[in-house]
Amino acid sequence: MSYPRIDRATRVIVQGITGRAGRMHTRMMRDYGTRIVAGVSPKAGGADVDGVPVFASCREAITQTRATASVLLVGAAQLLVAIEDAVQAGIKLIVTPTEGMPAHDALRARRLTLEAGVMWIGASTPGVAVAGQAKLGFVPEASLKPGPLGLMAKSGTLSYECGYRLAQRGIGTTVWIGVGGDLVKGTRFAELVPFYAADTQTEALLVIGEIGGNEEQEFATALAESRFHKPVFALIAGRSSPEGVTMGHAGALVHGSHGGYAAKKAALEKAGATVFASLDEMTTAITAWHGSRQRQERLTK
Amino acid sequence: MYLLEHDAKRLLATHGIPLPAGILVEDAAKMPALPPGPWMVKAQLAAGGRGKAGGIRKTTTETETLAAAAEILRKRIRGLPVRGCRIEQQVSGAVETYLSLMIDAAQAGVRVMLAPRGGVDIETLSAQPGLIRGALCDPEPSAVSACVRNLGNDLAEPLRSALAAAGSALAVPFFAHECALLEINPLFVKPDGTWFAGDAKMITDDNALGRQPALRELLQARAGSYPEDALKLRHGCDYVVVDPDGEIGLLTTGAGLSMMLIDELRAAGLKPYNFLDVRTGGLRGDPTRLVHVLNWIAQGPRIKVILVNVFAGITDLGEFARLLLAALAQAPQLKVPVVARLIGTNLDAAREFLARHNVPVVAELSAAFDHVRRELAS
Repeated sequence: MSYPRIDRATRVIVQGITGRAGRMHTRMMRDYGTRIVAGVSPKAGGADVDGVPVFASCREAITQTRATASVLLVGAAQLLVAIEDAVQAGIKLIVTPTEGMPAHDALRARRLTLEAGVMWIGASTPGVAVAGQAKLGFVPEASLKPGPLGLMAKSGTLSYECGYRLAQRGIGTTVWIGVGGDLVKGTRFAELVPFYAADTQTEALLVIGEIGGNEEQEFATALAESRFHKPVFALIAGRSSPEGVTMGHAGALVHGSHGGYAAKKAALEKAGATVFASLDEMTTAITAWHGSRQRQERLTK
Repeated sequence: MYLLEHDAKRLLATHGIPLPAGILVEDAAKMPALPPGPWMVKAQLAAGGRGKAGGIRKTTTETETLAAAAEILRKRIRGLPVRGCRIEQQVSGAVETYLSLMIDAAQAGVRVMLAPRGGVDIETLSAQPGLIRGALCDPEPSAVSACVRNLGNDLAEPLRSALAAAGSALAVPFFAHECALLEINPLFVKPDGTWFAGDAKMITDDNALGRQPALRELLQARAGSYPEDALKLRHGCDYVVVDPDGEIGLLTTGAGLSMMLIDELRAAGLKPYNFLDVRTGGLRGDPTRLVHVLNWIAQGPRIKVILVNVFAGITDLGEFARLLLAALAQAPQLKVPVVARLIGTNLDAAREFLARHNVPVVAELSAAFDHVRRELAS
């Protein structure tokens, strides 16, 4: 997979721009600085939304605007078709905040995007944000501040909480990626290891996981294999959740030995990550890391 | 949704999957006619390993069967309530094998696992090299069929043909009901080559419920056995009682933050009652969902305080506060104090509204915990 660059120059389209969510989030993303160059709506080609031109297809929107990224604000049942449209049109980064995408649709979409070399983030995510530059989705501003920490998370709200606590202490983020809480998703933690390893702005990585699935274990394996040299901090939600019940996110289900907290923690620790038992522990440790980093910076100056 | 064995089997039966004759018993006083014996009496619950936890009995007389069912119905197994009992005819003279189909989220395909031996000791058997075979295939019924056939190709008859037939047959419901997992263990194979699904573990995708009429019908008809899923289908939010003796009712949004909040409360020695992802974005100016939530929480016999936690990216907190107060007015039986931790837009309006009704609003979770502790102590 190639990693598309995201900053204030990135040309972004919004599929489903004429819907209620489409209009609202387009306005909020533009207010933050995101360069929204077009919208797509099969039924409203030729119209405009707050001055953003609307095209009937992704292909038309890309031909006219040279956009490379797309935010899909369409219903869960329409996501697969909208992703196919974006991939065929040559979009390089697809972000799908919508909740509730069926897993079997997501399987098809993942095969398609993997084969095409397109980066798909989601579904069920607040999206991607580069603090101070652009956001593709709706990470709240209270949690966004430019800084040296890479952040990736399954949960939107828990990542807001972490980002907010750190921002309050003057610690900000580089690229914030919500991978989402679904069972089958476009991009998994492990697949982002090379991205954060190569990103020179990122000096440490915070991973916010949760019970269910084996994404954290997979990430730990990728960490060990890649010799990732930056500090890795991790928080895993749901250690006291009951078995056999889905905890809000479609992917957050523990059954038998699958998806439990202990195995995730052990795998991450074995790969050299620091796993925190609480939010306070996380804030304290990352604040300490940030402080020592700043002291070193002053010494080298 | 983790289907109970009995429900999974009823669904499989509609696709012609061969099963031992069986019935569901939910009340020991209302025992329907038994299938021919001898029997297996099996606790119905959403967890594996119930055989080793005393949830499965073999019986030979009717009296023994009824007594075993009555005893199992009273149990909690691995911390979970037993949601009924399936009484099933024993299968004799068969070999126990194993077959499972599972979504492989990383490889974007279906992971097939097959073993010529199965049963309750599958976890130990899996340590034997070469016994369990696995392969990945495309997410299509024909690819699954071919994959199962290939995996069992070196087995002796009748296993080879029986497992191939089972693979083709089980691929149909796996895709038709959009399963994440369909595991048959044991899968009985008789010397004449006939096969039966001895057990069935089926996990379906909650996100696909909207286009799965058979699963929706099942949920509506058997809501009592799937309280969380039925509630989500009906009300659009996730609610799980995590501790029936809990003292703190949670009115929270966001799955990850709500799970973490429960972890943190427990680590602090406090007792949360429920998990909730209320989805503030779905309230749309109507307090009804909040009223339902407050009524559910009011059923907790030890509830002493409600903790509201909303980190709003988009939701207008002034609007949320107005809805919360309206909901509290409509749930008068809930006579406990409320503490709110709110972050987001229009916080001042929310604070002013709530202060007028003696609901303290704080910005940090630690401050909210302090309030909760004070309420619990008073």
